[in-house]
Amino acid sequence: MTSEEIIEKVKAGLADAIQDTALPQGDAVIFVAPDSWHAVAEFLKNDADLKFDYFSDVRGVDYLLEEREPRFESVYQLYSIDHQHSIRVRVGIGEDNPSVPTVSDLWKGALYPEQELFDMFGINVEGHPTMERLIMPKDWEGFPLRKDYPLTTETVTFSYNRDFKSDLVKSKPPTR
Amino acid sequence: MSVTDQGLLHRDKDTMTLNMGPQHPSTHGVFRVILEMDGEVVKTAEPEIGYLHTGIEKTSENKRYVHVIPMTDRLDYLNPPGNNLAFCLSTEKLLGVEIPDRANVLRVIMCELSRIASHLVWLGTHALDIGAMTVFLYCWREREMILDLNEEISGVRMMTSYIRIGGVAKDATRPWLDGIRDFIEYLPAKVDEYERLLTKNPIWLDRTEGVGAFTREEAINWSFSGPALRASGVNWDIRKAQPYSGYDNYNFDVPVLNNGDIFDRYRVRVEEMRQSRAIIKQALESLPEGPYKSPDNKVSLPPRETLHTSMEALIHHFKLVSEGISVPVGETYVPIEGARGEVGFYIVSDGTNVPARVKLRAPSFMAIPGMCKMMEGCYIADVVGIIGSIDIVMGEVDR
Repeated sequence: MTSEEIIEKVKAGLADAIQDTALPQGDAVIFVAPDSWHAVAEFLKNDADLKFDYFSDVRGVDYLLEEREPRFESVYQLYSIDHQHSIRVRVGIGEDNPSVPTVSDLWKGALYPEQELFDMFGINVEGHPTMERLIMPKDWEGFPLRKDYPLTTETVTFSYNRDFKSDLVKSKPPTR
Repeated sequence: MSVTDQGLLHRDKDTMTLNMGPQHPSTHGVFRVILEMDGEVVKTAEPEIGYLHTGIEKTSENKRYVHVIPMTDRLDYLNPPGNNLAFCLSTEKLLGVEIPDRANVLRVIMCELSRIASHLVWLGTHALDIGAMTVFLYCWREREMILDLNEEISGVRMMTSYIRIGGVAKDATRPWLDGIRDFIEYLPAKVDEYERLLTKNPIWLDRTEGVGAFTREEAINWSFSGPALRASGVNWDIRKAQPYSGYDNYNFDVPVLNNGDIFDRYRVRVEEMRQSRAIIKQALESLPEGPYKSPDNKVSLPPRETLHTSMEALIHHFKLVSEGISVPVGETYVPIEGARGEVGFYIVSDGTNVPARVKLRAPSFMAIPGMCKMMEGCYIADVVGIIGSIDIVMGEVDR
Protein backbone atom coordinates (compact mmCIF):
# COMPACT_ATOMS: atom_id res chain seq x y z
CA MET A 1 0.00 0.00 0.00
CA THR A 2 1.15 3.55 -0.56
CA SER A 3 1.53 5.92 2.37
CA GLU A 4 -1.74 7.68 1.53
CA GLU A 5 -3.66 4.39 1.50
CA ILE A 6 -2.11 3.36 4.83
CA ILE A 7 -3.22 6.62 6.43
CA GLU A 8 -6.73 6.29 4.98
CA LYS A 9 -6.97 2.72 6.24
CA VAL A 10 -5.76 3.62 9.75
CA LYS A 11 -8.14 6.59 9.92
CA ALA A 12 -11.07 4.40 8.86
CA GLY A 13 -10.23 1.73 11.43
CA LEU A 14 -9.42 3.97 14.40
CA ALA A 15 -11.04 7.32 13.86
CA ASP A 16 -11.11 8.50 17.48
CA ALA A 17 -7.65 7.24 18.51
CA ILE A 18 -5.66 9.09 15.83
CA GLN A 19 -4.83 12.66 16.81
CA ASP A 20 -3.29 13.72 13.52
CA THR A 21 -1.60 12.39 10.39
CA ALA A 22 1.20 13.66 8.20
CA LEU A 23 3.14 12.73 5.06
CA PRO A 24 6.64 14.20 5.46
CA GLN A 25 8.72 13.34 2.35
CA GLY A 26 6.18 10.65 1.49
CA ASP A 27 6.41 8.67 4.77
CA ALA A 28 3.18 7.66 6.53
CA VAL A 29 3.15 9.25 10.02
CA ILE A 30 0.37 9.11 12.60
CA PHE A 31 0.11 10.88 15.97
CA VAL A 32 -1.32 8.94 18.91
CA ALA A 33 -1.89 9.69 22.61
CA PRO A 34 -0.13 7.38 25.13
CA ASP A 35 -3.49 6.11 26.47
CA SER A 36 -4.64 4.73 23.13
CA TRP A 37 -1.23 3.60 21.85
CA HIS A 38 -1.58 -0.05 22.86
CA ALA A 39 -4.96 -0.42 21.15
CA VAL A 40 -3.58 1.27 18.01
CA ALA A 41 -0.57 -1.07 18.04
CA GLU A 42 -2.83 -4.12 18.25
CA PHE A 43 -4.88 -2.87 15.31
CA LEU A 44 -1.75 -2.16 13.23
CA LYS A 45 -0.37 -5.61 13.90
CA ASN A 46 -3.52 -7.67 13.44
CA ASP A 47 -5.32 -5.93 10.57
CA ALA A 48 -4.97 -8.14 7.47
CA ASP A 49 -4.34 -5.29 5.03
CA LEU A 50 -1.81 -3.49 7.24
CA LYS A 51 -0.16 -6.42 9.07
CA PHE A 52 2.79 -4.56 10.60
CA ASP A 53 4.48 -7.70 11.92
CA TYR A 54 8.02 -6.32 12.16
CA PHE A 55 9.04 -3.93 14.94
CA SER A 56 11.82 -1.86 13.49
CA ASP A 57 12.70 0.63 16.24
CA VAL A 58 11.54 3.09 18.86
CA ARG A 59 13.37 6.31 19.65
CA GLY A 60 12.81 8.99 22.22
CA VAL A 61 12.94 12.67 21.32
CA ASP A 62 13.12 15.60 23.75
CA TYR A 63 11.57 18.80 22.39
CA LEU A 64 12.58 20.94 25.38
CA LEU A 65 14.44 23.58 23.35
CA GLU A 66 11.54 24.05 20.94
CA GLU A 67 9.17 24.52 23.89
CA ARG A 68 6.74 22.15 22.30
CA GLU A 69 3.88 20.61 24.26
CA PRO A 70 4.06 17.69 25.11
CA ARG A 71 7.78 17.74 25.74
CA PHE A 72 8.74 14.12 24.97
CA GLU A 73 7.90 11.92 22.08
CA SER A 74 8.52 8.25 21.48
CA VAL A 75 8.58 7.44 17.79
CA TYR A 76 7.85 3.89 16.65
CA GLN A 77 8.85 2.52 13.28
CA LEU A 78 6.86 -0.49 12.09
CA TYR A 79 7.27 -2.52 8.93
CA SER A 80 5.23 -5.20 7.18
CA ILE A 81 7.33 -8.02 5.75
CA ASP A 82 4.48 -9.34 3.58
CA HIS A 83 3.20 -6.03 2.21
CA GLN A 84 6.57 -4.21 2.23
CA HIS A 85 5.27 -0.94 3.63
CA SER A 86 6.12 0.98 6.77
CA ILE A 87 4.55 3.47 9.17
CA ARG A 88 5.88 5.82 11.82
CA VAL A 89 3.86 6.39 14.99
CA ARG A 90 4.64 9.45 17.09
CA VAL A 91 3.39 9.26 20.67
CA GLY A 92 3.58 12.58 22.53
CA ILE A 93 4.38 12.22 26.25
CA GLY A 94 3.96 14.96 28.87
CA GLU A 95 6.75 16.25 31.06
CA ASP A 96 5.27 15.29 34.44
CA ASN A 97 5.73 11.64 35.28
CA PRO A 98 6.29 10.60 31.64
CA SER A 99 5.00 7.14 30.81
CA VAL A 100 3.86 5.10 27.83
CA PRO A 101 2.42 1.55 27.64
CA THR A 102 4.67 -1.25 26.47
CA VAL A 103 4.15 -3.07 23.19
CA SER A 104 6.68 -5.79 23.96
CA ASP A 105 3.76 -8.20 24.43
CA LEU A 106 2.99 -7.77 20.71
CA TRP A 107 6.55 -7.60 19.36
CA LYS A 108 9.31 -9.21 21.43
CA GLY A 109 11.83 -7.06 19.56
CA ALA A 110 10.52 -4.02 21.46
CA LEU A 111 12.00 -5.23 24.76
CA TYR A 112 15.46 -3.73 24.37
CA PRO A 113 14.70 -0.39 22.70
CA GLU A 114 11.90 0.29 25.22
CA GLN A 115 14.33 -0.33 28.04
CA GLU A 116 16.71 2.10 26.36
CA LEU A 117 13.89 4.64 26.24
CA PHE A 118 13.75 4.51 30.03
CA ASP A 119 17.52 4.53 30.37
CA MET A 120 18.13 7.57 28.19
CA PHE A 121 14.96 9.67 28.67
CA GLY A 122 13.42 8.48 31.92
CA ILE A 123 10.19 7.59 30.18
CA ASN A 124 8.51 4.88 32.23
CA VAL A 125 7.32 2.05 30.00
CA GLU A 126 4.30 0.55 31.80
CA GLY A 127 4.12 -3.23 31.76
CA HIS A 128 7.71 -3.75 30.63
CA PRO A 129 9.22 -6.75 32.47
CA THR A 130 12.63 -5.19 33.24
CA MET A 131 12.32 -1.45 33.77
CA GLU A 132 15.93 -0.74 34.76
CA ARG A 133 19.13 0.73 33.34
CA LEU A 134 20.33 -0.93 30.14
CA ILE A 135 23.37 0.87 28.74
CA MET A 136 24.27 3.24 31.57
CA PRO A 137 25.58 1.83 34.88
CA LYS A 138 22.91 0.68 37.33
CA ASP A 139 23.64 3.50 39.80
CA TRP A 140 23.73 6.31 37.21
CA GLU A 141 21.81 9.47 38.03
CA GLY A 142 19.95 11.47 35.44
CA PHE A 143 18.84 10.66 31.90
CA PRO A 144 21.63 11.44 29.44
CA LEU A 145 19.72 12.16 26.24
CA ARG A 146 17.38 14.72 27.79
CA LYS A 147 18.17 18.20 26.56
CA ASP A 148 18.63 19.55 30.10
CA TYR A 149 21.35 16.98 30.79
CA PRO A 150 24.58 18.88 30.22
CA LEU A 151 27.57 17.83 28.17
CA THR A 152 30.28 17.89 30.81
CA THR A 153 33.38 16.00 31.70
CA GLU A 154 32.89 13.19 34.13
CA THR A 155 34.04 14.01 37.66
CA VAL A 156 36.59 11.39 38.64
CA THR A 157 37.56 10.64 42.21
CA PHE A 158 41.20 10.09 41.40
CA SER A 159 43.15 11.45 38.46
CA TYR A 160 46.71 10.48 38.84
CA ASN A 161 48.11 11.41 35.46
CA ARG A 162 47.00 15.02 35.27
CA ASP A 163 48.27 15.97 38.73
CA PHE A 164 51.47 14.08 38.21
CA LYS A 165 52.27 15.84 34.96
CA SER A 166 51.55 19.33 36.26
CA ASP A 167 53.70 18.66 39.34
CA LEU A 168 56.45 17.44 37.13
CA VAL A 169 56.40 20.57 35.01
CA LYS A 170 56.23 22.98 37.96
CA SER A 171 58.52 21.51 40.56
CA LYS A 172 61.06 19.46 38.69
CA PRO A 173 62.93 21.18 35.91
CA PRO A 174 64.68 18.68 33.70
CA THR A 175 68.10 17.80 35.01
CA ARG A 176 71.01 16.30 33.19
CA MET B 1 24.21 -6.66 37.71
CA SER B 2 26.59 -8.48 39.98
CA VAL B 3 26.18 -12.05 41.04
CA THR B 4 25.33 -11.12 44.64
CA ASP B 5 22.73 -8.52 43.53
CA GLN B 6 20.73 -11.23 41.86
CA GLY B 7 20.86 -13.47 44.90
CA LEU B 8 22.47 -16.12 42.77
CA LEU B 9 24.35 -17.51 45.72
CA HIS B 10 21.05 -18.62 47.29
CA ARG B 11 19.58 -20.35 44.29
CA ASP B 12 18.79 -24.02 44.41
CA LYS B 13 21.80 -26.25 44.10
CA ASP B 14 20.82 -27.94 40.86
CA THR B 15 22.04 -25.10 38.68
CA MET B 16 25.30 -23.26 38.39
CA THR B 17 25.71 -19.63 37.42
CA LEU B 18 28.46 -19.02 34.91
CA ASN B 19 29.74 -15.61 33.92
CA MET B 20 30.91 -15.19 30.34
CA GLY B 21 32.61 -11.97 29.33
CA PRO B 22 32.89 -9.02 29.11
CA GLN B 23 36.54 -9.83 28.35
CA HIS B 24 36.06 -13.00 26.37
CA PRO B 25 37.53 -13.57 22.90
CA SER B 26 34.38 -15.23 21.55
CA THR B 27 31.94 -12.48 22.46
CA HIS B 28 33.28 -10.27 19.65
CA GLY B 29 33.80 -7.22 21.78
CA VAL B 30 32.85 -6.40 25.33
CA PHE B 31 29.61 -8.33 25.68
CA ARG B 32 28.74 -10.10 28.89
CA VAL B 33 26.23 -12.88 29.32
CA ILE B 34 25.30 -14.54 32.59
CA LEU B 35 24.44 -18.18 31.98
CA GLU B 36 22.52 -20.36 34.33
CA MET B 37 23.63 -23.91 33.68
CA ASP B 38 21.99 -27.23 34.37
CA GLY B 39 24.96 -29.50 33.82
CA GLU B 40 26.11 -28.68 30.31
CA VAL B 41 22.77 -27.25 29.20
CA VAL B 42 21.99 -23.52 29.34
CA LYS B 43 18.77 -22.84 31.27
CA THR B 44 18.69 -19.05 31.01
CA ALA B 45 21.01 -16.52 29.44
CA GLU B 46 20.94 -12.93 30.64
CA PRO B 47 22.72 -10.34 28.48
CA GLU B 48 24.58 -7.36 29.89
CA ILE B 49 25.66 -4.53 27.60
CA GLY B 50 26.94 -0.98 27.89
CA TYR B 51 30.66 -1.56 28.33
CA LEU B 52 31.47 0.26 25.09
CA HIS B 53 29.04 3.15 25.54
CA THR B 54 30.65 6.32 24.20
CA GLY B 55 27.64 8.63 23.98
CA ILE B 56 27.84 9.09 20.22
CA GLU B 57 24.15 10.01 19.98
CA LYS B 58 24.54 12.74 22.60
CA THR B 59 27.74 14.02 20.98
CA SER B 60 26.00 14.14 17.60
CA GLU B 61 23.48 16.60 18.98
CA ASN B 62 26.35 19.04 19.50
CA LYS B 63 28.13 18.61 16.17
CA ARG B 64 27.40 19.84 12.66
CA TYR B 65 25.99 17.34 10.20
CA VAL B 66 29.31 16.91 8.40
CA HIS B 67 31.10 16.26 11.68
CA VAL B 68 28.74 13.42 12.56
CA ILE B 69 29.90 11.33 9.57
CA PRO B 70 33.30 10.31 11.08
CA MET B 71 31.47 9.24 14.25
CA THR B 72 29.11 7.00 12.26
CA ASP B 73 32.20 5.12 11.04
CA ARG B 74 32.93 4.13 14.60
CA LEU B 75 29.49 2.68 15.33
CA ASP B 76 29.61 -0.45 13.20
CA TYR B 77 33.35 -0.47 12.70
CA LEU B 78 33.31 -3.45 10.36
CA ASN B 79 31.00 -1.79 7.85
CA PRO B 80 31.71 1.98 8.00
CA PRO B 81 30.48 2.95 4.50
CA GLY B 82 27.08 1.44 5.31
CA ASN B 83 26.71 3.75 8.30
CA ASN B 84 27.95 6.76 6.32
CA LEU B 85 25.41 6.01 3.64
CA ALA B 86 22.53 5.60 6.11
CA PHE B 87 23.30 8.94 7.75
CA CYS B 88 23.78 10.75 4.43
CA LEU B 89 20.57 9.33 2.93
CA SER B 90 18.51 10.54 5.89
CA THR B 91 20.09 14.00 5.77
CA GLU B 92 19.71 14.22 2.00
CA LYS B 93 16.05 13.25 2.28
CA LEU B 94 15.46 16.23 4.58
CA LEU B 95 17.52 18.50 2.32
CA GLY B 96 15.87 17.22 -0.86
CA VAL B 97 19.19 16.88 -2.73
CA GLU B 98 19.53 14.90 -5.93
CA ILE B 99 22.60 12.67 -6.04
CA PRO B 100 24.46 12.33 -9.38
CA ASP B 101 24.51 8.87 -10.98
CA ARG B 102 28.28 8.50 -10.72
CA ALA B 103 28.18 9.21 -6.98
CA ASN B 104 25.46 6.59 -6.51
CA VAL B 105 27.49 3.94 -8.35
CA LEU B 106 30.64 4.79 -6.35
CA ARG B 107 28.58 4.51 -3.14
CA VAL B 108 27.29 1.10 -4.16
CA ILE B 109 30.81 -0.15 -4.98
CA MET B 110 32.12 1.07 -1.64
CA CYS B 111 29.22 -0.43 0.35
CA GLU B 112 29.46 -3.81 -1.36
CA LEU B 113 33.24 -3.99 -0.90
CA SER B 114 32.67 -3.23 2.75
CA ARG B 115 29.97 -5.89 2.99
CA ILE B 116 32.45 -8.46 1.66
CA ALA B 117 35.11 -7.26 4.13
CA SER B 118 32.63 -7.45 7.00
CA HIS B 119 31.51 -10.96 6.05
CA LEU B 120 35.17 -12.00 5.78
CA VAL B 121 35.81 -10.82 9.34
CA TRP B 122 32.67 -12.62 10.46
CA LEU B 123 33.60 -15.87 8.70
CA GLY B 124 37.15 -15.81 10.00
CA THR B 125 36.28 -15.13 13.63
CA HIS B 126 33.21 -17.38 13.62
CA ALA B 127 35.21 -20.29 12.24
CA LEU B 128 37.98 -19.59 14.73
CA ASP B 129 35.45 -19.70 17.58
CA ILE B 130 34.30 -23.13 16.48
CA GLY B 131 37.89 -24.31 16.01
CA ALA B 132 38.81 -23.83 12.34
CA MET B 133 42.03 -21.85 12.43
CA THR B 134 42.95 -21.89 8.74
CA VAL B 135 39.87 -20.05 7.50
CA PHE B 136 40.68 -17.17 9.82
CA LEU B 137 44.08 -16.62 8.18
CA TYR B 138 42.67 -16.92 4.66
CA CYS B 139 39.87 -14.45 5.36
CA TRP B 140 42.27 -11.89 6.80
CA ARG B 141 44.43 -12.21 3.69
CA GLU B 142 41.52 -11.24 1.42
CA ARG B 143 40.24 -8.54 3.76
CA GLU B 144 43.66 -6.92 3.68
CA MET B 145 43.20 -6.35 -0.06
CA ILE B 146 39.92 -4.52 0.53
CA LEU B 147 41.56 -2.37 3.21
CA ASP B 148 44.32 -1.49 0.72
CA LEU B 149 41.65 -0.44 -1.77
CA ASN B 150 40.05 1.72 0.94
CA GLU B 151 43.39 3.36 1.58
CA GLU B 152 43.84 4.10 -2.11
CA ILE B 153 40.49 5.90 -2.44
CA SER B 154 40.13 7.60 0.96
CA GLY B 155 43.56 7.55 2.60
CA VAL B 156 42.24 5.51 5.51
CA ARG B 157 42.08 1.76 5.82
CA MET B 158 39.00 1.24 7.99
CA MET B 159 37.18 4.44 9.02
CA THR B 160 36.92 5.77 5.50
CA SER B 161 34.25 8.51 5.85
CA TYR B 162 34.17 8.27 2.06
CA ILE B 163 30.45 8.85 1.60
CA ARG B 164 29.50 12.46 2.26
CA ILE B 165 26.31 14.49 2.19
CA GLY B 166 25.63 15.21 -1.48
CA GLY B 167 27.94 12.57 -2.96
CA VAL B 168 31.31 11.06 -2.14
CA ALA B 169 34.57 12.54 -0.85
CA LYS B 170 36.58 12.26 -4.06
CA ASP B 171 36.40 10.81 -7.51
CA ALA B 172 37.44 7.25 -8.35
CA THR B 173 41.09 6.87 -9.26
CA ARG B 174 42.51 4.62 -11.97
CA PRO B 175 44.54 2.42 -9.52
CA TRP B 176 41.44 1.97 -7.36
CA LEU B 177 39.25 0.84 -10.26
CA ASP B 178 42.00 -1.45 -11.58
CA GLY B 179 42.50 -2.85 -8.09
CA ILE B 180 38.79 -3.65 -7.73
CA ARG B 181 38.78 -5.33 -11.17
CA ASP B 182 41.67 -7.55 -10.10
CA PHE B 183 40.04 -8.26 -6.75
CA ILE B 184 36.67 -9.37 -8.11
CA GLU B 185 38.45 -11.70 -10.53
CA TYR B 186 40.44 -13.12 -7.62
CA LEU B 187 37.65 -13.44 -5.03
CA PRO B 188 35.32 -16.24 -6.35
CA ALA B 189 38.01 -18.92 -6.24
CA LYS B 190 38.79 -17.92 -2.67
CA VAL B 191 35.14 -18.09 -1.57
CA ASP B 192 35.01 -21.59 -3.09
CA GLU B 193 38.10 -22.39 -1.08
CA TYR B 194 36.42 -21.38 2.21
CA GLU B 195 33.46 -23.52 1.29
CA ARG B 196 35.71 -26.47 0.53
CA LEU B 197 37.18 -26.12 3.99
CA LEU B 198 33.87 -25.84 5.83
CA THR B 199 30.63 -26.70 4.02
CA LYS B 200 31.12 -30.48 3.91
CA ASN B 201 33.46 -30.69 6.87
CA PRO B 202 31.87 -33.20 9.32
CA ILE B 203 33.14 -31.32 12.41
CA TRP B 204 31.70 -28.05 11.11
CA LEU B 205 28.39 -29.72 10.30
CA ASP B 206 28.16 -31.31 13.75
CA ARG B 207 28.73 -27.97 15.40
CA THR B 208 26.36 -25.92 13.25
CA GLU B 209 23.52 -27.99 11.78
CA GLY B 210 20.32 -27.71 13.81
CA VAL B 211 22.01 -25.61 16.50
CA GLY B 212 20.46 -22.30 17.54
CA ALA B 213 17.48 -22.63 15.24
CA PHE B 214 14.80 -19.94 14.98
CA THR B 215 11.58 -20.32 13.02
CA ARG B 216 10.32 -17.67 10.62
CA GLU B 217 7.77 -16.33 13.14
CA GLU B 218 10.29 -16.20 15.99
CA ALA B 219 12.88 -14.42 13.89
CA ILE B 220 10.36 -11.74 12.82
CA ASN B 221 8.94 -11.34 16.32
CA TRP B 222 12.41 -10.87 17.86
CA SER B 223 13.23 -8.21 15.22
CA PHE B 224 16.09 -10.03 13.56
CA SER B 225 17.20 -8.53 10.27
CA GLY B 226 19.63 -9.10 7.47
CA PRO B 227 21.29 -12.51 6.96
CA ALA B 228 20.02 -13.85 10.32
CA LEU B 229 16.43 -13.23 9.19
CA ARG B 230 16.95 -14.55 5.67
CA ALA B 231 18.37 -17.80 7.06
CA SER B 232 14.97 -18.31 8.75
CA GLY B 233 13.08 -18.22 5.47
CA VAL B 234 12.10 -14.54 5.29
CA ASN B 235 12.75 -13.06 1.88
CA TRP B 236 13.40 -9.47 2.93
CA ASP B 237 16.34 -7.50 1.65
CA ILE B 238 15.98 -3.70 1.79
CA ARG B 239 18.09 -3.41 -1.38
CA LYS B 240 15.18 -5.15 -3.16
CA ALA B 241 12.19 -4.10 -1.01
CA GLN B 242 12.88 -0.35 -0.75
CA PRO B 243 15.72 0.28 -3.23
CA TYR B 244 18.06 3.18 -2.51
CA SER B 245 21.16 4.53 -4.30
CA GLY B 246 20.11 2.82 -7.53
CA TYR B 247 20.16 -0.78 -6.26
CA ASP B 248 17.18 -1.48 -8.53
CA ASN B 249 19.53 -1.18 -11.54
CA TYR B 250 21.55 -4.24 -10.60
CA ASN B 251 20.74 -7.85 -11.20
CA PHE B 252 21.43 -9.97 -8.11
CA ASP B 253 19.82 -12.73 -6.06
CA VAL B 254 18.86 -12.64 -2.39
CA PRO B 255 19.84 -15.96 -0.79
CA VAL B 256 17.05 -17.30 1.46
CA LEU B 257 17.24 -20.55 3.45
CA ASN B 258 14.70 -22.15 5.76
CA ASN B 259 16.29 -23.93 8.71
CA GLY B 260 17.32 -20.82 10.64
CA ASP B 261 20.27 -22.57 12.30
CA ILE B 262 23.94 -21.59 12.44
CA PHE B 263 24.71 -23.53 9.27
CA ASP B 264 22.08 -21.69 7.23
CA ARG B 265 23.28 -18.31 8.49
CA TYR B 266 26.74 -19.32 7.37
CA ARG B 267 25.54 -20.34 3.92
CA VAL B 268 23.48 -17.14 3.46
CA ARG B 269 26.49 -14.94 4.23
CA VAL B 270 28.85 -16.89 1.98
CA GLU B 271 26.38 -16.61 -0.88
CA GLU B 272 25.96 -12.89 -0.14
CA MET B 273 29.68 -12.42 -0.75
CA ARG B 274 29.25 -13.86 -4.25
CA GLN B 275 26.22 -11.64 -4.90
CA SER B 276 28.09 -8.55 -3.68
CA ARG B 277 30.85 -9.40 -6.10
CA ALA B 278 28.26 -9.60 -8.91
CA ILE B 279 26.90 -6.16 -7.95
CA ILE B 280 30.41 -4.64 -7.95
CA LYS B 281 31.11 -6.15 -11.37
CA GLN B 282 27.93 -4.63 -12.84
CA ALA B 283 28.60 -1.31 -11.13
CA LEU B 284 32.09 -1.10 -12.62
CA GLU B 285 30.72 -1.84 -16.09
CA SER B 286 27.99 0.78 -15.75
CA LEU B 287 30.09 3.50 -14.03
CA PRO B 288 28.87 6.68 -15.79
CA GLU B 289 30.89 9.81 -16.42
CA GLY B 290 29.85 12.98 -14.63
CA PRO B 291 30.18 14.76 -11.29
CA TYR B 292 30.93 12.70 -8.17
CA LYS B 293 29.04 15.05 -5.85
CA SER B 294 25.97 17.22 -6.01
CA PRO B 295 26.42 20.43 -8.03
CA ASP B 296 24.29 22.19 -5.38
CA ASN B 297 26.85 24.39 -3.62
CA LYS B 298 24.63 24.83 -0.60
CA VAL B 299 25.43 21.20 0.20
CA SER B 300 28.80 20.29 -1.30
CA LEU B 301 31.91 22.44 -1.65
CA PRO B 302 32.40 24.12 -5.06
CA PRO B 303 35.39 22.93 -7.15
CA ARG B 304 38.65 24.29 -5.83
CA GLU B 305 39.69 26.05 -9.07
CA THR B 306 36.48 28.14 -9.21
CA LEU B 307 37.36 29.90 -5.95
CA HIS B 308 39.85 32.11 -7.79
CA THR B 309 37.41 33.24 -10.45
CA SER B 310 33.90 33.14 -8.96
CA MET B 311 32.73 35.37 -6.09
CA GLU B 312 29.69 33.15 -5.55
CA ALA B 313 31.81 30.03 -5.24
CA LEU B 314 34.01 31.81 -2.70
CA ILE B 315 30.98 32.79 -0.59
CA HIS B 316 29.56 29.27 -0.75
CA HIS B 317 32.91 27.83 0.24
CA PHE B 318 33.23 30.22 3.17
CA LYS B 319 29.69 29.61 4.42
CA LEU B 320 29.94 25.84 4.14
CA VAL B 321 33.28 25.66 5.92
CA SER B 322 32.51 28.16 8.67
CA GLU B 323 28.82 27.44 9.25
CA GLY B 324 28.02 24.05 7.73
CA ILE B 325 24.87 22.76 6.10
CA SER B 326 21.56 24.02 7.49
CA VAL B 327 18.89 21.35 7.24
CA PRO B 328 15.16 22.27 7.04
CA VAL B 329 12.89 21.48 10.00
CA GLY B 330 11.60 17.92 9.95
CA GLU B 331 12.19 14.32 10.94
CA THR B 332 12.96 11.36 8.77
CA TYR B 333 14.24 7.81 8.66
CA VAL B 334 15.75 5.92 5.72
CA PRO B 335 16.55 2.22 6.25
CA ILE B 336 19.35 0.54 4.30
CA GLU B 337 20.65 -3.01 4.16
CA GLY B 338 23.90 -3.04 6.11
CA ALA B 339 26.14 -6.08 6.49
CA ARG B 340 24.19 -7.17 9.60
CA GLY B 341 20.72 -6.06 8.64
CA GLU B 342 18.54 -2.96 8.72
CA VAL B 343 20.62 0.13 9.49
CA GLY B 344 19.09 3.58 9.55
CA PHE B 345 19.38 6.95 11.19
CA TYR B 346 16.34 8.70 12.60
CA ILE B 347 17.19 12.40 12.36
CA VAL B 348 15.21 15.27 13.85
CA SER B 349 16.20 18.69 12.56
CA ASP B 350 15.23 22.01 14.14
CA GLY B 351 16.38 24.02 11.14
CA THR B 352 19.90 24.76 12.36
CA ASN B 353 23.26 23.37 11.28
CA VAL B 354 23.28 20.91 14.21
CA PRO B 355 20.91 17.90 14.37
CA ALA B 356 18.41 17.97 17.25
CA ARG B 357 18.35 14.18 17.56
CA VAL B 358 20.27 11.38 15.89
CA LYS B 359 19.26 7.79 16.60
CA LEU B 360 20.85 4.75 15.05
CA ARG B 361 18.74 1.69 14.42
CA ALA B 362 21.40 -0.95 15.01
CA PRO B 363 20.71 -4.54 13.86
CA SER B 364 23.10 -6.05 16.45
CA PHE B 365 21.38 -4.19 19.30
CA MET B 366 17.96 -5.40 18.21
CA ALA B 367 19.15 -9.01 17.85
CA ILE B 368 20.72 -9.43 21.31
CA PRO B 369 17.57 -10.42 23.32
CA GLY B 370 16.59 -12.91 20.62
CA MET B 371 20.10 -14.29 20.52
CA CYS B 372 20.02 -14.95 24.27
CA LYS B 373 16.60 -16.60 23.89
CA MET B 374 18.17 -18.83 21.26
CA MET B 375 20.84 -20.01 23.72
CA GLU B 376 18.29 -21.51 26.12
CA GLY B 377 18.39 -25.28 25.92
CA CYS B 378 21.68 -25.35 24.01
CA TYR B 379 24.93 -26.83 25.20
CA ILE B 380 27.48 -24.43 26.59
CA ALA B 381 29.86 -25.16 23.72
CA ASP B 382 27.22 -23.88 21.28
CA VAL B 383 26.95 -20.47 22.97
CA VAL B 384 30.04 -19.14 21.18
CA GLY B 385 28.72 -20.54 17.91
CA ILE B 386 25.39 -18.73 18.35
CA ILE B 387 27.03 -15.42 19.25
CA GLY B 388 29.31 -15.72 16.24
CA SER B 389 26.51 -16.64 13.85
CA ILE B 390 24.42 -13.55 14.70
CA ASP B 391 27.53 -11.44 14.03
CA ILE B 392 27.17 -8.74 16.66
CA VAL B 393 29.36 -5.64 16.71
CA MET B 394 29.46 -4.02 20.13
CA GLY B 395 30.28 -0.59 18.71
CA GLU B 396 26.74 -0.24 17.37
CA VAL B 397 25.13 -2.03 20.31
CA ASP B 398 26.40 0.37 22.97
CA ARG B 399 26.88 3.45 20.78
